[in-house]
This record gives sequence, structure tokens and C-alpha cells, in this order.
Amino acid sequence: MRSLAGLGHPSLIAALAFAVIALVACALGARRGRADLALAGTRALYATAGFTALAALALLNALVLHDFSVEYVVNYSSESLAGGYLVAALWGGMEGSLLFWTLLLTVFSAVAVRGARRAGSRLAGWAGAVLAGIAVFFLLLLVAPADPFTTLSAIPPDGNGLNPLLQSPGMVVHPPLLYTGFVGFSIPFAFAIAALLAGRSDDSWFRSTRRWTLFAWSALSVGIVLGGAWAYTELGWGGYWAWDPVENASFMPWLTATAFLHSVVIQEKRRMFKVWNVSLIVLTYVLAVFGTFLTRSGILSSIHTFTEGPIGKWFLPFLALMLVGGLGVVAWRLDSLRGENRFDSLLSRESAFLANNVLFLAAAFAVLWGTIYPIVAELVSGTRLSVGPPFFNSVFVPIGLALILLTGIGPLISWRRMSRGAFARVVRVPLAAGAATAIALWVAGVDSTGALLAVALCAFTAVAIAAEFARGSRIYRTRAGLPWHSALVRAVSRNRRRYGGYVVHLGVVLIVIGFAGSSGKVERQAVVPQGGSMPVGDYELVFEELDSSTTDEKDVFQATIGVFRGGERVAALYPQRNLHRAQNQPQSEVAIRSTPVEDLYVVVTEFDSSGDAVIRAFVNPLTWWIWAGAAVMLAGMVVLLSGGSPRPAREARLAGVPEPAVATR
Amino acid sequence: MQSPTAGSPKRRAKFAVGGGIIFLALVGLVVWAMTRPNATSFYYTTSELETASLAAGAEEYRVNGNVVPESVVNEGLRTTFDITDGRTAVTVVTEETLPDAFWTAMKAGSSEVEVVAQGKYDGDRFTASQVLAKCPSKFKAKA
Repeated sequence: MRSLAGLGHPSLIAALAFAVIALVACALGARRGRADLALAGTRALYATAGFTALAALALLNALVLHDFSVEYVVNYSSESLAGGYLVAALWGGMEGSLLFWTLLLTVFSAVAVRGARRAGSRLAGWAGAVLAGIAVFFLLLLVAPADPFTTLSAIPPDGNGLNPLLQSPGMVVHPPLLYTGFVGFSIPFAFAIAALLAGRSDDSWFRSTRRWTLFAWSALSVGIVLGGAWAYTELGWGGYWAWDPVENASFMPWLTATAFLHSVVIQEKRRMFKVWNVSLIVLTYVLAVFGTFLTRSGILSSIHTFTEGPIGKWFLPFLALMLVGGLGVVAWRLDSLRGENRFDSLLSRESAFLANNVLFLAAAFAVLWGTIYPIVAELVSGTRLSVGPPFFNSVFVPIGLALILLTGIGPLISWRRMSRGAFARVVRVPLAAGAATAIALWVAGVDSTGALLAVALCAFTAVAIAAEFARGSRIYRTRAGLPWHSALVRAVSRNRRRYGGYVVHLGVVLIVIGFAGSSGKVERQAVVPQGGSMPVGDYELVFEELDSSTTDEKDVFQATIGVFRGGERVAALYPQRNLHRAQNQPQSEVAIRSTPVEDLYVVVTEFDSSGDAVIRAFVNPLTWWIWAGAAVMLAGMVVLLSGGSPRPAREARLAGVPEPAVATR
Repeated sequence: MQSPTAGSPKRRAKFAVGGGIIFLALVGLVVWAMTRPNATSFYYTTSELETASLAAGAEEYRVNGNVVPESVVNEGLRTTFDITDGRTAVTVVTEETLPDAFWTAMKAGSSEVEVVAQGKYDGDRFTASQVLAKCPSKFKAKA
């Protein structure tokens, strides 16, 4: 059926034209201080967003109406594709995902610049120019080398369908969340560059974009977790993270952004680390674009080849411009970015934040090193190498443990300086909890030192966080006479930034407990005839039945696996081995029995000609905690995002109680 | 970057020493991690694998090549197939799960399926502990 696809290409050209106008008008308006030009530039930015949205709607319309005259629609959808996945097909391929990326960018830009203008920010002009410049780059790609609206002369009767691997609820939300995260960082990046261009060295750029930064970081965090959940439930290898180059590409900006979220607190409270903060946001944005580049270029072998295309080479000059331009502006304004304070003591909140930053950056560097080492090695010595999970795990276990320890210690230490005696008093209880956990695990026979240390440190940090909540809510119990739960809610809602942060920390602690469990993983595989069984861990799996059925899209072959433990049938699992007809592609659907203690993970990789099942089964201890921790993190993010800017007056009045670790102590 | 140090020379020295130790520890960590077993592995084409003088046994390699469709034999858990770079063929044996994309391409009789196998080579057969499939423009080929 014909659709509105014809509108797509002209809309993109119009969007490009308006982006160029926005770039010139915003830049000139900011440079010459001309309000009329700035206003025109902002309106051009709105028009850019509007026309990009129109192009995206045109493509969506073509997908929904199955307009197979459009090559993209043929390549990534089919008549039988279910409704929700038709929307997902918008970002299922390279051209569509770029269009979606650009849509997010232009809409975010319009909203952020509008908000900044309304708040009377002097940075709106330059920020608009930077954002329009970025939009010009992506729209150029869409107009020429990655046009989603290329038409076919011979119209096929049906499309090729969306890759069955992508037909999963997780895949409907994972890419948009990652993109939201990646694109979201362009807002603080643009305002940081704007502050430098405008010669303003104060902290208004990150204060005014704080919500954007948190929003982008939250979306990226949730996106990464959902990617892991998708890998776990769809790919059938029993794990959730493989240190695949594209996973790494999403993880690197997350690491630098997390460092940034912490280090801006020091600038806010102590007016230090100014160069560091602008450099971190430049780095984060460059890594986010680098992530897109890795995904698009196919330069490294990866599971994420869905969106591979010929546009990789376009990204290199853009990346170079962002990095050199960004850091160049920082260098140019270096004089105005001197810190206004100095470190007072090694044992201080500032030092803890600094250590946190060093570790996060080291982690980001290690991931970058492992990801690009093969490319560098080939360029330098001509030998082709690959870097595997043992490298990444060896680096991340110690860094991760140190970070968990800091998560617990950091909030206990006061700003500026703290006496050793005071420090000893506040760490006493958490330390006892950590030691008790370590001893208990050792007695229980946990033989992995890494796992034992990790869980002990998690206990330390969890108790430290709990103590902070207890201390924070005490005033409302003693003075206002509230019961403990109302006091807790009052404390959290009065200081959402701090307690939201602690809730996120608590989520991280739970996730690390889940990671620690992976050291106890058990894996078995066997060919099992119907009625036969195989052991895995404490379980006995019995292949009881094989059922087949047919849907519009696929032939379904489902095994009924009885799960026995101690001679008792405790559950039944239904793994499938299906054939997606459009692509003639077989695909396994995993069955998982998840409990807080352990996951039983069963996948049928083949039914052979005689009906025997090739079964792979895993026992994954504590994996449940990863998803639980992620949910807690999400709750913390909601608390953080719901909080406004800090209210200094009230903070000062209550400082003695909710923040016992301040310098007054 | 501004030096994040305190005013007094003594404190400044403390920060410098502390910072130096942390920096060296982190560099050391990365260097150490690179030398862990199978942290890095050489990546060969089938011809290079044949001619390279490999330390048999312990070390894992990666080899890539196109699958010869008619060579694929599947018996229960074990799959055997040949991969080639057009000049030299190497037989790969694996008991691991092969990616779904691999089987899709085999059903279609495609000879353009490139795989990357990681494992050990005894000069005769390549025993893979992991096989990744790359199917460039799988869907576009049909369009």
C-alpha cells in the first residue's frame, strides 16, 4: 500500500536547511548579543525538530501500512510482523535508527534551549548553536548516505521481516533507552561548551542541565541493564554480559558520566574541579558518539551487526571535531577555570570523590583499551589479536571492589577534613557487618575469594547506607515524634538528591551481589531422548513431552521439562526451538526458573531427526539480585529526578542532624 | 588542569606520592590483566593458522573463514565443519552451541557465512570453545 513515505526525504532536507539556519543564527546572535537573531535561531531549532518528526512519522506510516516500495520497510518488516514490532522496526535498521537518533536530538535540543531561554540563561544562544551543529551532521548523513526513504523500482509482495532476535519486548525498549542516554548527554555537553564560549566559568551550565544529565544517565543505565536482560533471556548462552565491543561502547560513556555526576558535586559544594568537569562531559559525549560509530561501522566483530552500514567513515571526522574542538575550548579558557579551593586533608569527602573519579576513569580507560587494542595492534604491528573477557574481568573485579568500598565510606566522611577518631567511630558498625558476613560466608564454604570479598563489601556498604538513612530520619522521630517509616519518608522527600543517590547506591550493591554469584555458575549439556533426563547442579531435568504448533510467523516446537530436586517435581519449564518462516531462521526460546537463590536456565539448541533434544542447562546463583538491584536503582533515579535544586537555607538549618558528617562535627 | 593539592608543601608531597601510587597500581592492573590466560589471543585466517608455528596445546587462538556448507556434520552435541579463506581449509570441531544465524545460513546453503572460532589447534583439527557467526547483510541479500 502507498504511504506518506514520499514526504520523508523532503522533510529531511527541510530539517537540514533549518538546522543550518539555526546554527548560523544562534551563533551570530550569541556572538553579537542580538536578541532577534537568537530568537530566529531558536525558532529554526523548533522547525528542525518539527521536520525531523515529520520524517520519522512518514517512515512509521510506511512501516505500519506495509509500503514495500520503500527499501527500508522491505528490509526490516513484513506483513505478519506484530504491531509493536512495527514501531521497533523504526530503529531496527541502520537508516531508521539514525533517523530516530536525530529525532531525539532535535527534540531534546528544542526543549532544552527553550527551557534555558525561559529561565533567562545566557548560555541558550551558544548551546543552540552547538546542538544545531550536531544536528546538521546527522541530517547530512540522513539526506545522503543513509537515506531511510530509498525506494525500490520492483515492489516485492512481502518484506524480509525483522530479525527474530529483535522480536522481544526488551528490544522494543532497549535501543530507544540507550539512544536517549547517548543523545541526552549532548545537552550538558552543549551547555558546557556554551559556557566556555561565552566565557562563563561558574557552575550555571551544569546546574541548569542537571536534570538532563540525570535523565540521560538514568536512561543509559536502564538501557544497559535491559540489554543484559535481553541477552540473558534471548541469546541462550546463560550469561548477560560478554564484553562485546558494542556493549563496551555503551558502558564507557556510562562510566565517565557516572564519574561526572559525582565530581560536579565537588564543584557545586567547593568550587573545585572545574576543568575536570568540563573535560569529563566532553569525554562522555565523545564516547557516546564513539559508541554509535562502533555500532555503525562494523569495524569490530560483534553481536550488534543489525545496524551495520557504510557510514562508519563519516563518524571519524565528526568524532575528531568533537574531541579536539571540545578539549580545545577547554584549553582556551583554562585560565578562567582555576579551582577556588584546595584540598584540606587526605581524609575528606573531596578525596573520596576524587578517588571515585580516578577509579571510574581508570575503568573507562581499561574498557577503551581492551576494545580498541585489536585495531591498534593491527595498525602498529600487523598482527591481528582479540581481547577476551579474562582481561576485562581481571581489571574490573579489583576496581569494582574498590568502588563498592568507596560507596560505603564516601558518605561517612565529612567535607574538608575529618579526624581519624571520628572516622573510626563511623566505620565501626559497617566494618563489623562486613567482617561478620565474610566469616559467615567462609564458614558456609564459599571458596571464591572474589565473591566472598564482594559480598562482604556489599554488606559493609549496605549497612553504611542504612545508617545514613537512620541518622537522617532520627530528627523527625525525636523532634516531630513521627513513627520510623514516616520519618524515613519525610527525610527522603526533604533531601531527594542525597537519599535518591543512596537508593541508587543500594541498587548497585544488590547488583554486585548478583555479579558475585556468577562465580558459582554450573553448566551442563546433553542429548536427551523423550522420557530421558540429565543432571545439572542439584536438579534432575526430565524431557517429558514435545509439542508442536504453528503461528502466523513461526513453527513452534516446545519441550516440557520436568524439574526434579531430591526426587520431587518442583517445577516445569517450557523451552522452545522455533522456526521463523519469513527468514527461514531457527531460534531457541530460553526457559528460566528464577529465584533469589539461583536461576535454573534451560535452552534447547536442537531437536534432532529422532526427536531427541540437545539441551544446555545452567544454574546461575544470585542472578535474580541483578534485576532486583536494577529496580532499586530505578526507584532511586526517580527520587533523584523528582528533586529540584538544593535549598541552601534549609540545608544549613538542619545541617547538624541529617548530615552528621559535616565539618562542624 | 588545576593541581588538586593543598597549600603546604608537605601535604602537596603526600598527595603526589598517593596519586603516583594509585596511578602506578592502575597501570599495573591493566598490564597484569593483559597477560592473564586467554586475555588476548591471536587472530588468524585459515592459511595463517596452517603456516604459523603455533605453541600446540595450551594457548587459544581465533581463526576466521567461510564455512563450507556441505562439510557440516552434526551428531548430537558435536558439530564438525570446514572453514576456508579460499586457499586453505581447516576442520573445526565444537561441542558448543552454534549461533542460530549459523544454522539459518546452512539451511539456505549459503557459502558466504563467515565465522570466528576461538579454541585450540593441534595441527589437524581446531577444537573450538566458542563460535561466532557473521552474516553480512543477511536480509538484504534477498531483497
